Amino acid sequence: MADERERYFKDEFDSSQEKERHEFKLNGGSFLFGSNGQEPVEPAAPIVPSESGLHTSAGSDSQSQNDLQDETLQDESLQEEFEPASNELQSPDYISQIRQIIPGMNLDVARGLVEKYRGEGDVVSKAISEYFEEGLIVEHEKPRNSSSPTAGGNEGAESNSNGNSRNGSLVGQPLTREKRRKEVTPRPIKRLKSEIEWRKFIGSLQVNAMATRPTLRPLKYGTELEILKSSGGLPTSKLYNTNGRKKVSMASFVKIFDTQQNREIGRLPEDVAQIVYPLINTDDVVFEATMVFCENKRLSIGDSFVLQLDCFLTSSIFDEDQNKELTPSRSARWGSNSSMVETEEELQSRSKKVGLLSLFDRLRLRTVDDKADDASKSSANSEEDGVEVIDLDDDDNDGDEKLEDIVAREEDDARRFSSQEEGVMNLNQLKVFYKATQSSDSLKTLPETEPPSTTINLTLRKYQRQGLTWMLRREHEFEKAADSQGFQNVNGNMMNPLWKCFKWPKDMSWTAQRMEDHTEVDLGKFFYANLHTGEFCLEKPILKTMMKGGVLSDEMGLGKTISALSLIFTSPYDSSLVDKHLFMDGNEDENLSPPSSQSSKKPYAMKTTLVIVPTSLLSQWHSEFTKFNNSPDLYCEIYYGGNVSSLKTLLTKTKNPPTVVLTTYGIVQNEWTRILKMDRRDADMDSTTGLFSLKFYRVILDEGHVIRNRTTSTSKAVMEISSMCRWVLTGTPIINRLDDLYSIVKFLKLEPWAQISYWKMFVSDPFERKDYRQAFDVVNAILEPVFLRRTKQMQDADGRPLVELPPKEVVVEKLTFNEAQNTIYKHYLEEAETSVKKGLARGDLLKKYSTILVHILRLRQICCDPKLLGAQDENDEDLSKSNQLLKESVDVNKVYQKVGLNESSNRLDSGRLNTIKSRIQEKYPTADSLKTLECSICTADPIELHKVLFTECCHSFCEECLKEYLEFQKQKELELKCPNCREPVNKNYFFTLMLKDGESPQVVPLREVAKSAKIEALLKHCSILQETSPGEQIVVFSQFSSFLDILETELANTFLGNGVKVYKFDGRLNLKERAAVLENFSTKDFDNQKVLLMSLKTGGVGLNLTCASYAFMMDPWWSPSMEDQAIDRIHRIGQINQVKVTRFIVENSIEEKMLKIQERKRTIGEAMDADEDERRKRRIDEIQMLFE
Amino acid sequence: MASLPKRIIKETERLASDPVPGISAEPHEDNLRYFAVTIEGPEESPYENGVFELELYLPDDYPMEAPKVRFLTRIYHPNIDRLGRICLDVLKNNWSPALQIRTVLLSIQALLASPNPNDPLANDVAEEWIKNEELAISKAKEWTKLYAGKR
Repeated sequence: MADERERYFKDEFDSSQEKERHEFKLNGGSFLFGSNGQEPVEPAAPIVPSESGLHTSAGSDSQSQNDLQDETLQDESLQEEFEPASNELQSPDYISQIRQIIPGMNLDVARGLVEKYRGEGDVVSKAISEYFEEGLIVEHEKPRNSSSPTAGGNEGAESNSNGNSRNGSLVGQPLTREKRRKEVTPRPIKRLKSEIEWRKFIGSLQVNAMATRPTLRPLKYGTELEILKSSGGLPTSKLYNTNGRKKVSMASFVKIFDTQQNREIGRLPEDVAQIVYPLINTDDVVFEATMVFCENKRLSIGDSFVLQLDCFLTSSIFDEDQNKELTPSRSARWGSNSSMVETEEELQSRSKKVGLLSLFDRLRLRTVDDKADDASKSSANSEEDGVEVIDLDDDDNDGDEKLEDIVAREEDDARRFSSQEEGVMNLNQLKVFYKATQSSDSLKTLPETEPPSTTINLTLRKYQRQGLTWMLRREHEFEKAADSQGFQNVNGNMMNPLWKCFKWPKDMSWTAQRMEDHTEVDLGKFFYANLHTGEFCLEKPILKTMMKGGVLSDEMGLGKTISALSLIFTSPYDSSLVDKHLFMDGNEDENLSPPSSQSSKKPYAMKTTLVIVPTSLLSQWHSEFTKFNNSPDLYCEIYYGGNVSSLKTLLTKTKNPPTVVLTTYGIVQNEWTRILKMDRRDADMDSTTGLFSLKFYRVILDEGHVIRNRTTSTSKAVMEISSMCRWVLTGTPIINRLDDLYSIVKFLKLEPWAQISYWKMFVSDPFERKDYRQAFDVVNAILEPVFLRRTKQMQDADGRPLVELPPKEVVVEKLTFNEAQNTIYKHYLEEAETSVKKGLARGDLLKKYSTILVHILRLRQICCDPKLLGAQDENDEDLSKSNQLLKESVDVNKVYQKVGLNESSNRLDSGRLNTIKSRIQEKYPTADSLKTLECSICTADPIELHKVLFTECCHSFCEECLKEYLEFQKQKELELKCPNCREPVNKNYFFTLMLKDGESPQVVPLREVAKSAKIEALLKHCSILQETSPGEQIVVFSQFSSFLDILETELANTFLGNGVKVYKFDGRLNLKERAAVLENFSTKDFDNQKVLLMSLKTGGVGLNLTCASYAFMMDPWWSPSMEDQAIDRIHRIGQINQVKVTRFIVENSIEEKMLKIQERKRTIGEAMDADEDERRKRRIDEIQMLFE
Repeated sequence: MASLPKRIIKETERLASDPVPGISAEPHEDNLRYFAVTIEGPEESPYENGVFELELYLPDDYPMEAPKVRFLTRIYHPNIDRLGRICLDVLKNNWSPALQIRTVLLSIQALLASPNPNDPLANDVAEEWIKNEELAISKAKEWTKLYAGKR
């Protein structure tokens, strides 16, 4: 024994360092291994985790709690043995890990701790430190009864004298076949306790293993071996890269043990280890290894020997609860950061799936295709009942091509994990996708449903009536179908296509073949597996999507809101239950809990639809509801979170609860965050009374793409809303990535796709492999039943387009900087260019990224108005607010000085300026006299003071008129003369009036107060429209809210009290103000020109502004779709006039280049942004483009 | 066509409400930029007692651009050709947006009062005017009677 131990240590060359450290500590006696808390009370069988077997003392009550961190590193192979018998739904790993460290920790406490730290890294150690620091009072559970069939206990006590049993099984068993046979059957029971009722053979592998320890004697033919895992508790994420490719050699973690000697003897070859590793401790698969051949000599390190690896599936894999546990949806909710990176648990479950997949592949376990046309194949399969032991070294491929085909698919699946190419989605693909998802047939086949006029006061268009039919079907027909048992097993074709059917192979395992009385568990001929989720089933899985609801994805402007409202009005409450309610004749409330579905402990608000909308649309929804509501019984309540003391009471305990509860994403998110922050113990839903305390009849997400990133807190919160029917309205279900759809699918709880593994396997991965066809096919298959999309161009049954909108005209108007703008622009451009060049030269452009963005922002601001410089506009999300350069306030006047603008004006003859000034003052000495000025060009009488412009010859004009005239003269190459006296004029000597409240107007040189080119242009357009189309509303979009402020002032100065009303709509308004602004703006007024200044971000989506037919886009945005969205506020159903959009672009400026970038995005597709890095690189390209 | 700028409306109104003596200008029903104009021949000019019809059109760029004016009635005048085109500086290079329909028509009336054969448009008329002013004036009177007689 001692000899052996010594040698053991010498030979310990591939042991992980942690383990060594661990052992030395143990040797030092500073630490008693506490993990095996159940065992130590059994003095006869002190189970110790290390192979060396050095520990002889153990006791649960003397456990030291030092070095707990190390504990977490301990061999996972122990865990399964201590897993609580009850089937934990919540991350059994963590809980059992913790309970391993603190034996007997109350299960609830452990669960609470895991809950608390879940989603953060290092759950176990955090939980443990909290446990100690907070001094949680824990009722130690009584040590497990030693008679409980935990691992090793019994066996070890019986026969294991040296206590070395690592996993306690079969140690010291005599090698007689009879004895073995007895062992074989109890083994799963012993190992896996009550969870496993049976196991079944699925195939054998012959494996060439390599010895890692020398043996004293040759290993006998038939020696029982054990496959164990020793990753030292490394989290799966350490073993795999995010793309699923393994990082480290698995072979070092999969050991072959001689159960008799209880010591490691070798390891599996890498390829097998890879397959086996994730499966070893999973209960789902059991491996039995038997020594077959070792040349009958003692093994030295590096020698190879052959073993037979029998593989069994156990009952636990077919256990439904178990399958649920595997589904990662629970953990995905807690996933952090970027969108499709898997959480640890997701990764674990996926690696397990891959393992199973490869194992099946290796075992040549074939799918039985139950389609009729493949009958020959399945018969071929059935002939080879006796699956032979497969020799891995045998490269001969049986010549069975058909089988290869089937296997090829699985291999293909496996290969996905090595694919590192990032998939991208470009515009064409997006088009293909949208085209494929358009439901053109629906227009021909769907019957129409007219909503009841008793409740709704609205005439729907034909396609909307069809849409209503579809929506009603999505909500109701499933009940009928389920009742009529239409789903039950019509024939084999109904099988869920994701599942594969397998035939149990004949039991060829070592033990079975050598046991006379071996009886196989009779489980029928087939089993079914979903290799993509790792779910297994003995009964044929029938495809069913009972989800009620869907995605209404009509193109922008087709009236999704109307459709949703018509659905609400047609079916305002859960009729099945409310009817029952009537039968029960006033027997109130209590008994009314709905048939208990899994999540319905919450009270059921069966009369209420929850509508979640972006804040800007709240009032619009409310007013549309009110507008169309025809029934006094139905009403709509806006829920701000605080305004209803108990939503629960309101919706479930009152006689007439609101039909619609309107709320915003922000509120949902807020409430959810609050609940999360609440003390865990109080966090059960009973104590809350808000959105999450109820189950709604229906929930509708407007602009549902808001939740496209499933890791945002808003998304997470929205997913948690419980409801009978779930709807998503969005015109753009995909913004950037195909995976954007996943969030929607997940929200809809569209099983099985709501499981990330399904999605990843079938959509993300093929897409990344650039197998677009497959990805799209699958997406189509997923969405087809739940997705309705119509476009404006689609034609109805009569061949007419769905919507005939008046034409839309978008004109780019190129402007020239005024002189001051030009000078400042050049100055900043130089700065920016220098910075970019430096960055490029040094190669650290990326680091300077935000600085450069600030430079770009400055240039864009100058294009609008130099006054914007230094204004705080938080619109550019790429700019970190901490950016120093951005914070640095910009004093425009200083800038003027810096760029020498004032100097150049000094160079003008200041004497002459003064003379002119005094002459003008002489001529018009009083403020009153200034009010009699006339413009001979437009015959304005008097000229409004802010418009006044004086020439050198003291003649007055409207600034605009004169400039227009001079421009005209310039074009004709005529001399610039005063219209009144024909004296030559010089722009530099124009004067204007500076107006200040409470002061008389000051005569000042015009160039000092020059308006920016865009403001000029807008003012000009406004006054033209005022004359040509009086009463027309105008919408002005800008992304800079500070620019909107400037425009507001300018418009007010220019037109106020003169037939113009200015409205401003931006993020700073509260809900009431927003509603008021929109309402006031939309009422027609022929005496006043109404101008709505609209922030692109705030008002760009969802709003309906069809009252206006003129729009001005003051500044370009990076993405053209943003501008399109904004334009569609005006150009949509309800618009009766031709829409005219003018986009102002300053010539020879960064804006022109932005236009180019927009063009590029339109053609190559902006949806290409694969990830953050990619996006950044693209931006760098764009930056270079900007400064070319 | 874009609707009418305010200035045109204003001018039209003023022409109606405060007409210039001897001049009338009325916009056409269908096109408010097209005016039917009559100018009475100035007293003590060869065109006395004549009523001359003209057409006046305000181009889109009016008032940046001068209105277009043409005599419809035949007139014997060195600065007006056979087709009725008028040679007048304010209608050409000397146009200023400060000028109006009213002022243009006044200028034309003034042109009738003082023909300027040194800056001719109708060369033959101008030649005759220079060669024999009396003959030319009598011819002008004759034409006025012939073509521009009061109805």
